[in-house]
Amino acid sequence: MRLLLDLRQITDHVERQRLAVQADTHGIWGVVVTGPPGAETVEASAIATATDHITIAVDIDGEAAHPTTIAEEVAVLDQLSQRRTMVILRAGNETRNTVTALLKGLPKEGVILSPPPAQAAVAVYGPEDIPRIEISQGPEQLAELIDQHRDANEQFLVVATNRSVKELARHAIGRAASADFPQMVANMADQIDPIN
Amino acid sequence: MDIGIGLWCLQSTATNPRSFGRAYQELTEDAQLAEQHGIHSLWLSEHHGYYDGYCPALMPAASAALTATETLQVGTGVLLLPLHEPQRVANAANHLNQQFPERFHLGVGMGYRPIEFEMKDRHMSQRLKLMTSGLDTLSTKTETPTWIGISSEQAAERAGRRGLGLFISGAFSKEVVNKLIAAHRAAWEKSEPNDTSPPPVGLLRNLWIVDTEDEQRQALNWVRSSYLVYAGLGWGADNTGVDFVSEIETSMNEVEKSATVGSAEQIAEDLSGYDVDLVVCRIGYDQPPRSALTDVIERIGSELAPLAREF
Repeated sequence: MRLLLDLRQITDHVERQRLAVQADTHGIWGVVVTGPPGAETVEASAIATATDHITIAVDIDGEAAHPTTIAEEVAVLDQLSQRRTMVILRAGNETRNTVTALLKGLPKEGVILSPPPAQAAVAVYGPEDIPRIEISQGPEQLAELIDQHRDANEQFLVVATNRSVKELARHAIGRAASADFPQMVANMADQIDPIN
Repeated sequence: MDIGIGLWCLQSTATNPRSFGRAYQELTEDAQLAEQHGIHSLWLSEHHGYYDGYCPALMPAASAALTATETLQVGTGVLLLPLHEPQRVANAANHLNQQFPERFHLGVGMGYRPIEFEMKDRHMSQRLKLMTSGLDTLSTKTETPTWIGISSEQAAERAGRRGLGLFISGAFSKEVVNKLIAAHRAAWEKSEPNDTSPPPVGLLRNLWIVDTEDEQRQALNWVRSSYLVYAGLGWGADNTGVDFVSEIETSMNEVEKSATVGSAEQIAEDLSGYDVDLVVCRIGYDQPPRSALTDVIERIGSELAPLAREF
């Protein structure tokens, strides 16, 4: 199960970028970003430019624009981010199907995306496809929730937290990937390298 | 007079096939290089559904260039407003203004390719109406500096009446450029504006800084061949002597005549004859090798821009 840090509730763009860079540094798989309709990929592009490895999941209002426009913006974002884009699309089935097809490089009603996305296909999810948790307490709460979603065979989990990104990385990435996570190691690491 | 560079279209053309990944990476590299050498701005351009991947989404591209730099200004030259939802354009512009205060310019135009309208379930016949309603929305929803890309005196007048800046094509002769500026200024004055200063005028000019005659001929060939793109796109402009659809050779000759290729001093001398606020050096051609492009960016910043600042 891969973890994405939720940046959508962070109102200050400097803080969003700081957290994204931290998440990138500490190996969190992705971040979730958004913006007002039309600004979603603008925000995602800024985050992509400031980071190197992290996947940028851009949450888009799919009813505010023509599906071709949305697909074009995502394709350009995928080129800018060098294949690090995925989409959370808030839209009805018809729009979602059109955007998904275009982002797979398939023609849809005579339209083919140009440029194409950098990836073979940009993954498009609905908000209901990816669960989200909020963490306000320490590693114990985090462990319980991670175990629950991992054991439910979730592909991704969005984590909203006001706690340290490094703590999330230390205690959650490995746990999300394995039922055999050695919590003792993470606890001892906290003593050797305290997280402030 | 400020000096900018353009147009970054992020294409992979038949003339110069390249990786899109490289093209988008070079956007941020070129933005940083321009900033390093004191250039005022970098301008992007838009089309949709063209074989060469001409950038269809300028706002995320602008965001990347702005994020990668600290002072460089970035503009859309031009975003095709009838093909977008105006409120979304306003939201994107406001988001960029918030993150990068006073660094983003919104240049908009009407578009001219029927197929681009069809892709968005619209029709070319609607473009003026969509442009007008789009500008109405932008005027109330964003305070981003807005420039109108024009190819006719009528369009220049419309921009003047609204108090909006002009963004004039690089393909036009000095005579045509002056007529467009005059039409814009007259319409602005007639509108009884509140502002005492007229709206800004930006001008694309094809130019290249060279040291020898051989380099001059090579650069002019690059200029000519760069308009093959617009022949393929089907661009023609009313009463301007430019029509890449039906008069490509004549139009290429007009473009070459209006290009300035020489030393920085010669170029500056030529540019001093234009009553404009901004010249965007049209250097984003697809033919020159990468090293030639980065060299000319450096020379525009270090040699031409200081001269132009004296106008």
